[in-house]
Amino acid sequence: MSAKLTSFDRAMMAITYAEAGEHETAKEIVSSERKEKIMKPTHNKGALALKTLVFGAASLSLYYIVFTHVDWITTEFTKGGWHAAYPVCTALIFSFVHGAFASNFLSLIGLEAKGH
Amino acid sequence: MKRTLILLMALVLGLCFSATAVFAGGGGPPKNMIKGFILKVNPENRTILFEKDATKEKLTLVLPEDQDLESIPFGKKVLVSLVTKDHEITNKIKHISVMFIDMPPSKIVALLMVGLIGGLLSGFIGSGGAFVLTPSMMSLGAPGAVAVASNMCHKFPKAMVGAYKRWKYGQVDIKLGLVMASSAIIGVQIGIKIQKYILDHWGNAGSNLYVSVMFVIVLVLVGGYVFYDAYKLAKGGKEAETTKLAQALQKINLPPMIHFKQANIRISAWFTLPVGVATGMLAATIAVGGFIGVPGLIYVLGASAIVASATELVIAFVMGLWGSIQWGLSGLIDIRLTLLILAASLFGVQLGALGTTYVKDYVIKVVMGAVMLIVSVSRGAKIPEYLADLGLRAPLSPEARAMYEAISFWALIAALGTAGIVITFFMVKGMLAARAEEHKKEAVSHG
Repeated sequence: MSAKLTSFDRAMMAITYAEAGEHETAKEIVSSERKEKIMKPTHNKGALALKTLVFGAASLSLYYIVFTHVDWITTEFTKGGWHAAYPVCTALIFSFVHGAFASNFLSLIGLEAKGH
Repeated sequence: MKRTLILLMALVLGLCFSATAVFAGGGGPPKNMIKGFILKVNPENRTILFEKDATKEKLTLVLPEDQDLESIPFGKKVLVSLVTKDHEITNKIKHISVMFIDMPPSKIVALLMVGLIGGLLSGFIGSGGAFVLTPSMMSLGAPGAVAVASNMCHKFPKAMVGAYKRWKYGQVDIKLGLVMASSAIIGVQIGIKIQKYILDHWGNAGSNLYVSVMFVIVLVLVGGYVFYDAYKLAKGGKEAETTKLAQALQKINLPPMIHFKQANIRISAWFTLPVGVATGMLAATIAVGGFIGVPGLIYVLGASAIVASATELVIAFVMGLWGSIQWGLSGLIDIRLTLLILAASLFGVQLGALGTTYVKDYVIKVVMGAVMLIVSVSRGAKIPEYLADLGLRAPLSPEARAMYEAISFWALIAALGTAGIVITFFMVKGMLAARAEEHKKEAVSHG
């Protein structure tokens, strides 16, 4: 059965079978829809690829910015005192962006936790 | 919504601990260390004109006798350690090191590799990485303080990502993590006090010896027990049971009693305290608190290895954040090192975290026990050198020194390699089994 059928199509199909006296087939159609909903992954490949691409590009840009301004950054970040906020915040930002990229990338290549 | 609130609370609590610890004045680099630029060298009286980077204060410092004048780094930020005499800092230089090492591609690849496996280990057993990352950075030429600081700054975001992942898999007990972290901070303060006492009385060699001996004793005893327990479980094919000690402690009704829902433990706060304090003390001594935190959570409090290793990541996050602020205040974090390790370790930590969903509880113990035992060899090989430095044994010949160095280095590599291979093996095995099971189910439902 085509996966592109909408819930409405399925319901109508089930009704038709039920009216024709094929109760078991009607039940099967409804239950298969439910099963498919449970089995369906929470995200599709296209959206995942897009997310990976966006976070990947963002992460790459951040790395590019840091490593092309490395002299200024290393000097400013190591002045001590309130400058401590620089490395700590940078590490946090990178962990969000690059962490999200890594997470999406691993999902995209099929490495996911059991049952997820 | 509730989950977001808990996460926010965790962050705020973490920051509170950090602030308290920072103002309490623990941790951080030694006071005899200053950083800045060398402006001028006076070869006649072997002194330099030094400018501190933060305050622009200018100092005249005396060079050590063995310092080659040609190799003095101009125009580069340097870290200068000064000689201390009778607890007073003098103007005599002990050592000058360039703060920011050069980064050829070979060093970048080395950092990425170590970061990846360190992250994998961290995501899988809740700790690890630091014991190999810091020495690796030092062997690449980074000054010790910069290596420790940069590693610390990479540890807390990595632990945060790992904790988040494993929390999503339902393995983290945030409450237990926060309770443990708060007592661990007390432990860190005690650990630092002991370190300072030893440093004052027996100098650097005494401190090195103390750290190494502690490392070997704790790792051999705890790692040996963890490994033995894992071996028993693997052989018998049984599920892990709560230890008798944990069962007995859980029965003692000593208020305040705390219920940890996720870990499924109800235990008095008085018993969580020593485990937390020991974790902190070990973190301040050997930089890997998790080596006592995770076994403590399993055998003393009664958590499963999966929950214990996941919860340890919350503790690592809080302590890492606190440490990073401390080291950041002293301006010793080389953000390039931090970001390069993060680039690979954020992959590793998530791989390790998802790996735990495919393995049995005892596999975590196998990896942890094996790593602890192999790493203890690495530290143990350093002991003869430190004993010789203290004059407690005959000086080592250069060949013997080189041999011990090689043993120490290769043991670290072996620990990382073993961890990488064992984790990958069990993860792939679990994944294949899960896939086969899924196919079987599909075949049954279609057929």
